[in-house]
Amino acid sequence: MLAGRLTTRTLAGLLVPLAAAMVAPGAWAGDLAFITNQSSSDLSVLDLEDQREIKRLSIPGAPAGVAVDPRRQRVYVVGAESKTVSAVDMETETVVQSLTLDGGPIGAAIDPVRGRIFVSDWFTPQVWVIDADSLHLLTTLRTTSPPTGLALSMNGRFLATADRDMDRISLFDAETLAFLRDIPVGGHPFGIRFSPDGRLFSADVTDNTVTAVDPETGQTLGKVPTRERPYGVAFAQGKGFVTNQYDDSVTIFDMTSLVVLKTIDVGEYPEGIDTSSDGRFVYVTNWFSNTLSVIDATRLEVTGEIDTGDGPRAFGRFIAPAPVE
Amino acid sequence: MRSFLRPLWVALLLLMVPASLAQAHGPSRQKLELSVDVAAPPAEVWGVIGNFQDMSWHPAVFSNTGEGGNDVNATRVLTLGKEGGPTISELLYKYQPEKMSYSYRITDVAVEVLPVTNYSSHLSVKPHGDGSTIEWKGAFYRGYPNNDPPPELNDEAAIAAVTGVYQAGLDALAKRFGQ
Repeated sequence: MLAGRLTTRTLAGLLVPLAAAMVAPGAWAGDLAFITNQSSSDLSVLDLEDQREIKRLSIPGAPAGVAVDPRRQRVYVVGAESKTVSAVDMETETVVQSLTLDGGPIGAAIDPVRGRIFVSDWFTPQVWVIDADSLHLLTTLRTTSPPTGLALSMNGRFLATADRDMDRISLFDAETLAFLRDIPVGGHPFGIRFSPDGRLFSADVTDNTVTAVDPETGQTLGKVPTRERPYGVAFAQGKGFVTNQYDDSVTIFDMTSLVVLKTIDVGEYPEGIDTSSDGRFVYVTNWFSNTLSVIDATRLEVTGEIDTGDGPRAFGRFIAPAPVE
Repeated sequence: MRSFLRPLWVALLLLMVPASLAQAHGPSRQKLELSVDVAAPPAEVWGVIGNFQDMSWHPAVFSNTGEGGNDVNATRVLTLGKEGGPTISELLYKYQPEKMSYSYRITDVAVEVLPVTNYSSHLSVKPHGDGSTIEWKGAFYRGYPNNDPPPELNDEAAIAAVTGVYQAGLDALAKRFGQ
């Protein structure tokens, strides 16, 4: 069903780190979205070009966290209840490996170049570091409190963790895995993400703010007021997009000035958020309504909605270019 | 003997949860959606259930007091069952009379009363033929925030408890407005 894709596997691996800026619109055959459905305990594979679900595969343990790895043509998903990390092959759309952890695995991020998966622990102040090819546990990193969201900077220098109960972000050197510093943000940070210009943003769930920080200096650069219960942040077209879980909306702000531009309605309990490979669209999972909202990042309007499984969370990076058969 | 000891054991476990975890919750949020079709038109139904400060339509609510009317951040305290009964404190975070819907969250409840944490809810009335559909939706985590919850505070217990509350309310409305 994926026949006719233009990119080759090798090409996709080479191009992805260069990201959207290098690629003219239309150069991609299209993106896929890999949506963790926590209530139905499965993974929806959505064809974003055709705007439809093309596959749903069973995943153990109420999956929440997700991290796509176009380089390995894999998606890593975290089953919170069974405490498993499953590796899904994008081409065959099957689980090819899994690892069971002891604790409360929840969020995930990938360092594709160094081949490391990072998984946050809901209950203990630590991050598991896992080999992306073998799924062997390499080591653990200590955070200031149990972490939720994880993010790798686009230049590959930093790993950041949202340390929920301490209202801080821990920053690590992604090469040496050394702890660098912790940075105060707002109350109960959940989703965090680096902007394309290298700043770091956290969605502060209990403060109704997004905090922008400079990872180099640890300084707070500013705050964006959001609606009720911000959960995740993504960037496209020079703007930041924030899911407001209790407000059924997305706050859109100017990435540079941090001024709120617009708030748009999406489905109920929006959570996971990510950007298309060409940067033209932002996608939001609506946990209660079981849909993915399609937002045109230039027009700042919802242009479509795609059905998912039950309870889509897609906590992490969930969009990748479609592979070739 | 076992059933006698269990409440004590649960209480002891709860005492061991540090205060900093008061807002903590388990890893999997639960959701619930119940609805009922009634014969009365939406405006009539909304007239009864659309006031955040009046939950007397629910049979489990003995009385309620509150502040802030139907403005965002209004609060109410529901007393359940009888005078001096257990209470639930709630806060209104979205009120849309034009859509006949409001959303609120629990700010304080003992897990012995309702075994949930981080509970939010949404009540709405929609047209359905000549009558209405009343929808009640909830999102919440189980009562026990850590791994390996005792049965009284697990996901199933949370879903069962909230289902009981919604069903009792909707049954009362079905009786009141006819079906």
